[in-house]
This record gives sequence, structure tokens and C-alpha cells, in this order.
Amino acid sequence: MLDFDKLFVTRDWVGKPIRRNEDVKFVKGEAVYVDDLDMECAHVAIIRSIFAHAKIKSIDTSKTEAMKGVLAVITGLEVAAQTQPIPPRAITQPAIQFVMAPDKVRYLGEPLAAVVATDRYLAEDAAELVEVQYEPLQPVVDIEDALKPDAPLLFEEAGTNALLHDTIGHGDFEKACKDADHVVKESFAVHRYSSTPLENWAIIVRHDKANDSFTVWANDQQPGRTVVNVCKVLGIKNKQLRLIVPDSGGGFGIKLAIWPYIVSLCLLARKVDQPIKWIQTRREHLLGGTHAPDCHVDVEIAVKKDGTILGLSVRDLQNDGSFVHTAGIYSLIKFATLVGCYNIRSAKMEFMSVATNKGPTVQNRGVGKPTAIFTLERIVDLVAKKLGLDPAEIRFRNFVQPEQMPYTTPSGEVYESGNYPECLRKALELGKYEETKKQRDDLRKQGKYIGIGMSAGIEPGTSNLGYYYTSSGTPEYMGSGEGAIVGIDYDGNAGVIIGSVETGQGHATTIAQVVSDMLGITPEHVSVDNTLDTLVSPFLGHSGSYSNKFNDVDLGAVIRATEKIRAKMLKIAAHVLKTDADELRIAEGHFISSKDESSKVSFKEVASYAYKKITLLPDGLEPGLKEIAYYRNMAAKLPNKTDFNVQLTHSNSVHFVVVEVDTETGIVKFLKYIIVHDCGNQINPAIVAGMTLGSTVHGIGATFLEDFVYDENGQLLATSFMDYLKPVAAGLPHIELAHMYSPCPYTLLGTKSAGEGGAIGSLAAVANAVEDALTPFGVKVTSLPITPEKVVHAVQESKLI
Amino acid sequence: MAEIKVTINGKQYEHEVEPRLLLVHYIREKARLTGTHVGCDTGNCGACTIHFNGKLVKSCLLLAVQADGAEITTIEGVSGNGLHPVQDAFLEKFGFQCGYCTSGMILNACSLLAENPDPTEEEIRESLEGNLCMCTGYQQIIESFQYAAEKMKGAAR
Repeated sequence: MLDFDKLFVTRDWVGKPIRRNEDVKFVKGEAVYVDDLDMECAHVAIIRSIFAHAKIKSIDTSKTEAMKGVLAVITGLEVAAQTQPIPPRAITQPAIQFVMAPDKVRYLGEPLAAVVATDRYLAEDAAELVEVQYEPLQPVVDIEDALKPDAPLLFEEAGTNALLHDTIGHGDFEKACKDADHVVKESFAVHRYSSTPLENWAIIVRHDKANDSFTVWANDQQPGRTVVNVCKVLGIKNKQLRLIVPDSGGGFGIKLAIWPYIVSLCLLARKVDQPIKWIQTRREHLLGGTHAPDCHVDVEIAVKKDGTILGLSVRDLQNDGSFVHTAGIYSLIKFATLVGCYNIRSAKMEFMSVATNKGPTVQNRGVGKPTAIFTLERIVDLVAKKLGLDPAEIRFRNFVQPEQMPYTTPSGEVYESGNYPECLRKALELGKYEETKKQRDDLRKQGKYIGIGMSAGIEPGTSNLGYYYTSSGTPEYMGSGEGAIVGIDYDGNAGVIIGSVETGQGHATTIAQVVSDMLGITPEHVSVDNTLDTLVSPFLGHSGSYSNKFNDVDLGAVIRATEKIRAKMLKIAAHVLKTDADELRIAEGHFISSKDESSKVSFKEVASYAYKKITLLPDGLEPGLKEIAYYRNMAAKLPNKTDFNVQLTHSNSVHFVVVEVDTETGIVKFLKYIIVHDCGNQINPAIVAGMTLGSTVHGIGATFLEDFVYDENGQLLATSFMDYLKPVAAGLPHIELAHMYSPCPYTLLGTKSAGEGGAIGSLAAVANAVEDALTPFGVKVTSLPITPEKVVHAVQESKLI
Repeated sequence: MAEIKVTINGKQYEHEVEPRLLLVHYIREKARLTGTHVGCDTGNCGACTIHFNGKLVKSCLLLAVQADGAEITTIEGVSGNGLHPVQDAFLEKFGFQCGYCTSGMILNACSLLAENPDPTEEEIRESLEGNLCMCTGYQQIIESFQYAAEKMKGAAR
């Protein structure tokens, strides 16, 4: 349980919107991203498939090799001969895929070969000269086509395109249906999109011939796992790989899939005598830099006529495209939010990971939860309509109540804390719900189509990585953890190194706030090195920035290491001052005797004993002031289909949205956007606000604009930001943000997940608002994105978006 | 190859360049000023925004040879050792997360505030039409513009 008096010496920093002064480099143009590293690199260009599905008959690289300035070429055949296939995690069918295609390509843009040249322009020229002979195969693009009995197979060895097909049920859904007054059914379709970090993927590899080892600089999001995968696939020892992650220009999960490219680059680097660099272009990023999968979800919900939800059944088909490492995990992670904020005691899910000739998928911000909450919050609205209930009322009638916390869902997910009814009440109050409804009704009479939408969603954090293996068994990873080192230097200042990486979350400032309050110093006396270096940084297989784990296990590691260093300094100070450690208090960088204020010793002086005057240290105490700690969330259960927590913290929020739909143009205008967010205690509220706002705009972009459209041949039609539209500042709402603070009892600071929430709740709230606005036309929203074209068509003809 | 002379942040640079070299690559790789970034290659994202003869332009849409004789300001030239009020505003109002779009955003703000010292929220949103930020949802960037405008007005008085 939380004991801040024991944890903190001061309460001056934690909980306050402290400026990111550690990060001045970002406003001065002085940050160092991978492409900024000042090294004499040769450049890599990748040759990619022009077909979505084809056999590779031959690759002729002779013209390329003969070109002046070309240093080396590698093909998929060579790569496959020197590597192990990509390790699958969640799927149950065999599926063999290499990091570069040796004999068959499975998506438009799949790497076939790569070339290194002295300069990036030459490398691109050289790539053009590679001649590939293809034998085109029939592509499968959509889920339905992929599941037909005569469908072409992506992976022949699997015998099917359904690489994972399983059902997990909790409670008795059939009985729920019998006891219910209504069973409402609906099918939903959510498209492919991605959070597209502004910095594309970037890798530099330097090969050391003397011991066949590699130093890799990459903007990787989960370096702990990348080291495991690269070593395994490349067949090298851990000691042969050093991975360094410098500043990184955004992640959002999309940078979890860089490691296969590191493997290919390592093989290329062996062939040349200088470091090599690959900077992904935006086109490459959109083609093969991974997406969130599109999906079809059939939902059945059993309800009493008073609105009480008795049971939920979901059939979830994910178009996981063509990356076996990630295939299957989107469905599995949905168990974290399957029943949302509701007291639903029977829930089952049949799920399928379908391989198609669309591009690879990876854990994009929210990972499946945006879709899970979209489908749940849509069907709850549809049920309310059917029963003639107010959408707020049906939610109030089904919420898990605060006195039920900690609440275990049917699948074993533990919601630690939260007050869901109060969160909605607050949102309705801020949104002046009753008044807004009246205005909506009045304006509707004047031919203005205003809609109100709300969603109540769970925002889980800290993935229990055992979830990947729920269906496949034999987990390679379980739980969640992180490592940190905290030291005090000669000057008495603190320094922190951590195994996670910074992709824009202001970790340095947040860590400095916590350490400052623990050591009674100010943040300018704490330096945090966000550069991960596997030679120096403490790390686990879990290390990285994803799944909202930072303010749980990452800070947990920092806190444990700081406690160790504080205890050691106290021992030295007590020895120097010839008193007991209990008699000392810490203030302004000094240990002071509580009996005699004049008896004190500074951190700098304590450091001088630890580092220099080591003969004078207490007997048995090691010199030096640097402590390492690893921390894990103790709530993690072992993977088990009947009782398993997929994620280990659960924030919640309500999004309340008012829109106006122009039925002539199909354009949706925001009139109001309110979020009430409860992520427990906050360390830096301005940073938390930034992530909430940013993730909400990701959701708004996904709802209205962003769409990886493929034609029937598997050709991607959105390969630049001219076709793949991102939200711009104009047209976005000014979002009003309010907070609740239900501390998590299982994290050291009472914090919960904070980075993904907006990307989860926004889709449903916006869609609900659009449907409400179009009530006079009887339009139902069952798919995303809501494009102007679809709106106009629905209003005029189809009644369906 | 063509010889060009360019002034960047008050300093003269002379190089032999290939006619096809993009200005953004010239700035990053020849002048070694890496605060100007590449985010999209198609002129949509604004990570490569610079001031070119006083105008706000995207340096991925120009060739280095077109910059012969030009005066350029990049993020590195916005302030000396200290912080320009716009840079200070981005820190004060949390106008950045990963920092990758920030150089372009700051140059955009400097340009807008020079022309329009007191922009409305709507005008700021319009001004950001060509600059994408994937992290912030723009709200804190807009607040940074507003804060900078206030401070700069105060200083001008």
C-alpha cells in the first residue's frame, strides 16, 4: 500500500506540472536521433516487392553490384540461409517467415533484397537496378476471402489462413441469453490505421570483425526483447550484440517491429568495412512499417428490459496481415477490456488471427482495446435505443460500482480502483447534458443535425506479457518488469539510467521529480540518461516503452534503486556524524542530525567518503554510490485461459462529444469534446494531459481520416501523407480535460496507465455522436472510418455507415 | 556537380553539390545542422521547415542548388545560448513530446508571430496546416503559440 511519508523526504515535485527542463535540446534542435549521429556511414536501400502475393523466380543483382559506389548486396535467399525464421508468439498454426523474403512475398513492399552504397542517393539508384522475376499469385486481401475453403494460402505449412482460432469463455452465456428479455446482435468493421510516429524507423549497424560483434543504434521501442530476437534469429550470442537507443521521434507501438530489419542490416554490415545506415522513407513506413489490423467483430449482448446486461459474446476476426511475430495478439489483449466498465458476469470470445496479403501489423497505440471499446460502447448505445433508455442511464445501470473495487472480471482481469459512475456524472455535468440535449432537439427542428455521444472505457496498462501465449502455451515471457540504476556522483548530484526508452513521454522530468522528492533535492540536481545502451543500462526482456508500463514498473525500479542509495548514504552520513541513521533527516542535499541542527554532512561530502576516503567507511560497507534495482508488478498471474490478467493496471475515462453533421457534405464538426480521465495519482499532470490529448487525436484521426485502403490486388493506395490523411490542427476540437484520482493500490505511487486512453475511448464516443446526430435519417454506424462520402451515402440511401 | 554558397544562421557555407541533392539533406549532411528533420518526403509534415530568405518553407521541397545565394535560418539559428521566447513557451506550455516536429513548429510560430503578433486560436490552427505533430494533438502547441505571443507583446511594449 502507498506510504508516501516513508517514500518521500519532500513533497515539492511529485504531482506538479514541472517544466521539461531536462529536454531543452528538443526546442533547440539539439536532440540526437539515429539519423543525426555523426558517423561516416554507408547507406542502405531496400528492394521491396511490387506484388502483394508472388513467388520470387529470380533476383539478378549483377548490374547493381557492377555499379560504382555499391559496397554490397544481399538477397532474401542469403538472409534465410543465415538466419532462423521469425519466432511466432500467439498463433497455434505453423507459419515460417524470414526477415527478408527468400522465395515468396506476402505483401506489397515486403523486403526482397538490400544494397549498401557510399551515399543514400546512390543506394536508391542501385536498388533500382536489381531485377526481380516474379510469378504472381492470387492475393487474399479481406478476411472473408482468406477464410474461404479454396482461398490461396499465405503459409502453406499452416494449411489454413486462420493462424489462431480459439474460444475462451467465462460464465454461462447461453443461460444469460435464456434469462434475458432481449439478445441484441450487431456486426462491426474497423479499418486499418496507424499512429505513424513522425520519425520513421532508423538503424545504424557497425560490425566489429575481430570478434564478429555488432553495435546497433536503432529507434527501437522494446530493446530488451529486440536483443533476444535478434540474437536468436541471427544465431549469435548475447555478447555479440550491443544495442543503443538514442532520442526517438515517437513510438506508439509502431517501433516495436524494427528488429527484423536489424537482423538484415547486421548481415549486410558483415560485408562492408564501415558502419551502415538505413533510414526508412515515409512510403516504406506506410507500406511495411506496420499497421493496426482491420477487423470484423460480431457482438451479441443479452439484456433485461431494464437495461441490465447479463452476458456478452464476441466473435473477433483480425486481419493480421503477414507478420507472424505479432499475429494473434490483438484478439488476446482484448480480454483486458472485453466487459469494459460494466458488471457483466458472463463473457465469451471466439477469436481468429487471419493471415492475408496486407502489410504487417504490430501493437499500435491501444492495441485492440480501441476496437473492443468501440464495439462494446456502440452496442450499449444500440441496446439503449432499443429499450428506449437514455445512453447515460443504461451505463449507470451496469457500471461496476466503486465499492466492488478491486473488481475481478469474468476472465480474471483485476480492476484495482476507480469510480466509473462518478466519472460519467462528472462528464455529463461538464457537458451540461440536459441542456445540450434540449439544444440538440431544438436545432434538429431547424434542420441542424447535432449529436451527443459518450463512451466509458477502460484504459489498461502494464502488459502481463504471458498473454501472448494464452492459446499457444509455453510462454517465453511473463509478467512485467524494468530495471534502473541510481547513482550519486562526486558532486553529490543524482544520476539515473533506466532500461526503458524515451519516445516523447517526458520520462527524464518525471523521474527527476520522483528522485528529487525521495532525496530532498531539486530536479536540476538529478540527471536522467534516456539513452539505452545494453552494455551499460539495466534491462529485462520486458525493457522498453510500451503498454503504459512506465509509471508502474519503470518508476518502481527507479524508486527501489533510490531507496538503496538513500539507505547507503544514510549509513555513511551516520558514521561520519557519529550518530544513528534514525537520528538523521534529509534536507537540501544534506543529512542533518535531528538532535543538533549544526551537525550535518552534505551529499557531496558523503560522496567523497564513498568514492575517495574509502578507508573511513563503516566496516563492511562497499565503496561507491551506484545502486541497481529491478522491479516487477507482483499482481501478474500465470497465463491461464480461465483466470488471467492480461494487463496489470486499469485507468478509465469518459469521453463526451457533441458534433454537428453537415448532411450535404458529410463533414462532421466538433462542438464540444470533454474527457474525464482517471489514471490514479499523477506525477506530472501537464505531461499526462499532453498524452491524453495526443492519444485522443489519434482516435479522432482513426475515426474520420486515416485508412490503409487496399485494392483487390493487395495494392496499398495510401502510401504518403497525401493519401493517408493525418489530423491537422484546423478542424480539431479544443478538448476540455478533467481528472479524477483513484490511486492504484498495487503500484508504488498509486499511478495507473496514462498514455493510451484517448486512443481507446474516442472512437466510440465520436461514432455515437455521429449516429445520434443522424437519428432523423435512421442511420446506424457499424464501421469506421466515418468519411464524408459514407455519411452522405448513408443519409441519402444506405442508412448505414 | 554545382558549386553553391549559402548563408545559414549567419554563417557562410560553400560546397560542391549534386544538382539533385535536396536542400534538407544539404542542411543536415553538408552543413551538419541536424535540428531540421525529415518526416514524410512529400512536403506534408513540416518537420523540415526553415526560414528561406525570410519565408517559411519546407526544405524537402527545394534542391540545394536553388539555395545558392540564399539566407537561411534553421532551428539552430533561432536563438544563441539562451532561449527565444517561442522556445521558452514550448517548454512552459509542454508544446512538444518526442520533439521531432518541434523545430518546424517553432519556426512556424516565429514566422506567424512576426506577421501577426496577436493571433486568434483559429489563426494559429490555420498557420499549422502544413505542420504535423503525431504526439500532442496540437492543443499544447497552440497554447505555446499563445503564451509566446503574450510574452513577446509584453517585451515589445
